Amino acid sequence: MGALDGLKIADFSWVGAGPRATKDLADNGATVIKIESRKRLDLGRMSPPFAGDAKNHDGSAFFAQTNTSKKSVTINLSDPRGIEVAKKLVIWADVVVENFGPGFMDRIGLSYDALKEIKPDIILASVSVAGKTGPMAGFRGYGNSAAAHSGHAWLTGWPDRDPHMPPLAYGDVVAPMFLTIAILAALEHHARTGEGQHLDISQIEPMVHVIADLYAGETVAKTGNDDAACLVHGAFPASGDEQWIAIAVETPAQGEALAEALGLAAAAGLDPAAIAERTAQFDKFTLFDRLSAVGVPVGPVLDGKELIDSAELDGSGHFVSLEHPVLGKSRMPAPPYTFAGTPWSLAASPLLGEHNTEVLIDLLGLDPAEIDHLIAEGALA
Amino acid sequence: MSMLSGIRVLEISDSMVDFGGRMLAELGADVVAVLADAAPDTARDLAWHHGKTRLIADDATVIRALAERSDIVLDGQRNGDRFGLAEIAARNPASIYVRVTPFSPVGPNAGRPATDLTLFALSGLMHVTGEADRPPLKFPGQQAYSLTGIQAATAALMGLYARRRTGTGQGIDLTAVKSATLANYREAVMYEWTGRIGRRRGNMLVRGKSGVRQVWPCLDGYVTWSMIDNPSMMRAVVKVMEEHGVAGELSAIDWDNTLVADTAQETIDRWQGVVETFFAGQTKAALGAWSLERGWGLSVIHDPKDVRENDHLRARGLFVSVTDEVDGRSTELPGPLFHSAAMDAPARVLKKPVLASQFTGWDAA
Repeated sequence: MGALDGLKIADFSWVGAGPRATKDLADNGATVIKIESRKRLDLGRMSPPFAGDAKNHDGSAFFAQTNTSKKSVTINLSDPRGIEVAKKLVIWADVVVENFGPGFMDRIGLSYDALKEIKPDIILASVSVAGKTGPMAGFRGYGNSAAAHSGHAWLTGWPDRDPHMPPLAYGDVVAPMFLTIAILAALEHHARTGEGQHLDISQIEPMVHVIADLYAGETVAKTGNDDAACLVHGAFPASGDEQWIAIAVETPAQGEALAEALGLAAAAGLDPAAIAERTAQFDKFTLFDRLSAVGVPVGPVLDGKELIDSAELDGSGHFVSLEHPVLGKSRMPAPPYTFAGTPWSLAASPLLGEHNTEVLIDLLGLDPAEIDHLIAEGALA
Repeated sequence: MSMLSGIRVLEISDSMVDFGGRMLAELGADVVAVLADAAPDTARDLAWHHGKTRLIADDATVIRALAERSDIVLDGQRNGDRFGLAEIAARNPASIYVRVTPFSPVGPNAGRPATDLTLFALSGLMHVTGEADRPPLKFPGQQAYSLTGIQAATAALMGLYARRRTGTGQGIDLTAVKSATLANYREAVMYEWTGRIGRRRGNMLVRGKSGVRQVWPCLDGYVTWSMIDNPSMMRAVVKVMEEHGVAGELSAIDWDNTLVADTAQETIDRWQGVVETFFAGQTKAALGAWSLERGWGLSVIHDPKDVRENDHLRARGLFVSVTDEVDGRSTELPGPLFHSAAMDAPARVLKKPVLASQFTGWDAA
């Protein structure tokens, strides 16, 4: 029994910003029905890495990781008959999620006002780059757009160098987390009042929120790895090629412990160059053990392989191994929390249209002959 | 009313859950934060603690009494349990007790000290951030803490949803290192499926077999745009370049049947050279306007002042004035988490900390 058992989500979202939120919900027990189409493939299904053929829309490991525990139904939203089927899912759902480009939901007749007519207490959760209101409401972008618009990119990196974009679409990580929070808060509101609502999540605003501490400062400047609240704060070389250890000294006692453990000369104090000279003599995992043991916060800078090999992550269920019809047995990221009473449970991501029969016939009660007709006509494709 | 009005949240602050408590406060919950035993940090206090009641832990019995009367406890102590909260939470079956630790309490790193930076290093994100000729970089601010805080709030709200069905609360364990690592959706999966280990590539975005550029100088600053696999965006950019007579070979490319991620690097570099020349002769404003009107997906890289003064964010009311109760000073900070008709604006005040022993709220703990 998951925390969200009984929750029903009609998920029109695609790529990253919506699907990461609905993964949170699905892994925790919500029934998430992903509405997608062969006529307009989720770009996530075309995103690397792939298991084998890049043209196989069921072979993207990116998609598989982002869509665990969901059901897939194919509905062509450019066909009015497809829209009518989609509306039946809206009636079934507690929450509708979408992250289409500006105006798309309105054009296909699924605006919030239209949804309310179908189901007065529906919660519509929309996530977009800039939100649904304001001068930039029509902006079309992608996950890293928010890093630029929020100041995040400008504040990343070394003071003497160009702005620095995150190495992944960080806006596609942070915004869906806000989307999940918004949906859960709206469900609490619904439980109290019976009211639905339209949640409008911008990708830019969450990216400002997560650096609110910088906006709260007297001056807002980029500082590389420095942190004025710490005595030592940076990445230092360890032995080997491209091996690094991050060290953060918050208190004088930690500083003394670091100096003693590394054998720093008293005259050097906590000079970064002197620290680097000593750390370069040791393996980063040895430093992790030794410095942690004397109370100094340190962390080896891990790469992708080391994440897979991490005893910490492996032992705590960070990845769950699932059997997928195309990918085979493969590791999928799990939620970072463990519920004592309502544990999450992961299932493999769906093949395109895998649950058509279950959803269209068993759940919505549509006539099988009519469905065959609509499939043949391309309305359910 | 607000979505979470009446929900009592006890937050034991120590950086890892502070933003989570702030989110719940923004949504209307009554959040009491027990401050960490550390030197105050004005900026971080303003950012993460406005809208909360702030307590100085001079009396552990009061803290335990508050825990017994909470709907939600966000326990973010990085070093042990100062107040014996786990047993208190067990005595209140309706309580949703979110215990956050840097590492798994039963894993190989249990009990090790950690900070935002060391957790970020362990997430795999630092390894790929920065340039090859300098050390790995962190993201701005304290992202490992922010990510953990959001997950703490998420877990608490899921616990609240479950409580409506089951009638009981529960214990929830959350680790910061997993919260930070979960944000890294690329590196582990890329290694597993391709055997490739990511490197620091500066502003190059590596996808599939090749990398595309992300930052471009223009006449008066920088913009970000990438030649990603989005055919309609590519066509929109090329169309404007054609109007200026500078599209060159880009005009002939069938973007619907071109997977940029699988295109040879030298070909991408040649295509990007055509774009670079065009962008270099344009202003931020011109490029930003085309992006908005034509759907390019290009963004101007704003500095913090631009962000504060941005018309769009002003129109949406993102920045709000927060007053420090101690000195009366006001600071413009991000307020609403998202837009919703069901929200009232919470108090925009950083309250003066009070001694726990003198706290008169929550039924005079």
